[in-house]
Amino acid sequence: MSSAFAVPFGEARLRNCEQLNRELEALFLARETDEYRNPSPTHVPQQEMFESRFNLFRWSEPCVQELRAFVLDSVIQTLAEACELQPADLAQLQMHNHTWFHVTHYAGSFVAHNHPLASWSAVYCVRAGESLPDHPASGVLRFLDPRVGSDGYFDLANRHLRPAYALKCREIRLEEGQVVVFPSFIFHEVAPFYGRDTRITVATNCWFTESVAPKTP
Amino acid sequence: MTARQPTIVPLFATPFALMPTGVTAELNAALAVLLGGRTTDEYRDAGLPRDALCFRSREDLFEWRVDTVGQLQREMLGGICTAVMAVNRCTEAEFDALGVQARARFAVVRPNGCLPAMSAPMASWYGVYCVAAPAAVPNRADSGTVRLYAAREGTMFMDPANSRLHAPYSGMHHLWRPVPGHLAVFPAGILHEVALNRADADLVLVMARVRFAHPGSAVPPW
Repeated sequence: MSSAFAVPFGEARLRNCEQLNRELEALFLARETDEYRNPSPTHVPQQEMFESRFNLFRWSEPCVQELRAFVLDSVIQTLAEACELQPADLAQLQMHNHTWFHVTHYAGSFVAHNHPLASWSAVYCVRAGESLPDHPASGVLRFLDPRVGSDGYFDLANRHLRPAYALKCREIRLEEGQVVVFPSFIFHEVAPFYGRDTRITVATNCWFTESVAPKTP
Repeated sequence: MTARQPTIVPLFATPFALMPTGVTAELNAALAVLLGGRTTDEYRDAGLPRDALCFRSREDLFEWRVDTVGQLQREMLGGICTAVMAVNRCTEAEFDALGVQARARFAVVRPNGCLPAMSAPMASWYGVYCVAAPAAVPNRADSGTVRLYAAREGTMFMDPANSRLHAPYSGMHHLWRPVPGHLAVFPAGILHEVALNRADADLVLVMARVRFAHPGSAVPPW
């Protein structure tokens, strides 16, 4: 038994992240302004969700740089597991990223999308927002199954497949300090958030080129 | 560019039919009262997560012995068959010989409610009928719309020459704003959602999974 057409998902948690997340939260809320807003959003913007410019990881604040190290390292670790590249090959890659933050307020959501011209994407949770028993899907990050059409026929032998093989969307309720890494081609969306507070995430798209640094012999 | 004009045709196209129905405003009003009065646990689909902002009934609506529902069933199935026939290669006689099976439910999407992404298994076609809809909300183009996801094709490569194609080549999601009395028909495998209703009134929809079978042929269970 082996897996074919599998989609790699990486997941990691930043330990002792509470102080860092509170600093990030304060910083992001202070910059939830037009000056920092994405001036050219790819999707129709919502007043309930703020999207920053895509240069977040170029900010010099220590809390941002600490997050940058964790998130990009998680991406590297995931692709190292998923690729056949050797450590020496990985060391030759130059990593590029577009990174931004989202602040989601009551009834904010983000429509299904993927990220062309990138290979790996990641979402880190700064603040999960209120969890509501009456709205179990509130604010979940929902990944769409790329095996389009496969869920059109069910019988008793494929209705209860193990999670890795299940023919359905995958939903993740992010927790603070958690990062998920996935291929950029996977369509994903954020379900409407119904908390009375805010949900704050950082997302990154990464692409890679050969390093411009001279290779060591 | 040259002065010669190419011949361009859409390939791999998805049929999306909009069908006006014969449902009168009076019938719709009666349906709205009937369905609105049955947003209770007795009629709720217990297999779906409870949602205070969106009620989904069991898929047995077409089994109700209620005259107004029977009229709606005839209109919906008639419209769906017309749409399906319009894109089929089978003859009218062949199509008429097929048996129709349908499972239908109603949904009441309250203000700030929505229906999450779903497709319709074990069926070939899907019909969404609008019983009642709030007025459009200014500057909220997708409020209460049925959004059909364009998540099938496309490429991860993008440049200025493929990122702004016009319909039907754009690869963007398709929005349909439900209009009372109107029916939308599309392939059951299309992933779709009802976007957040940002109006101050309920959106009432009836949704049906539909499939066809030769008389006497074995059909898998729903």
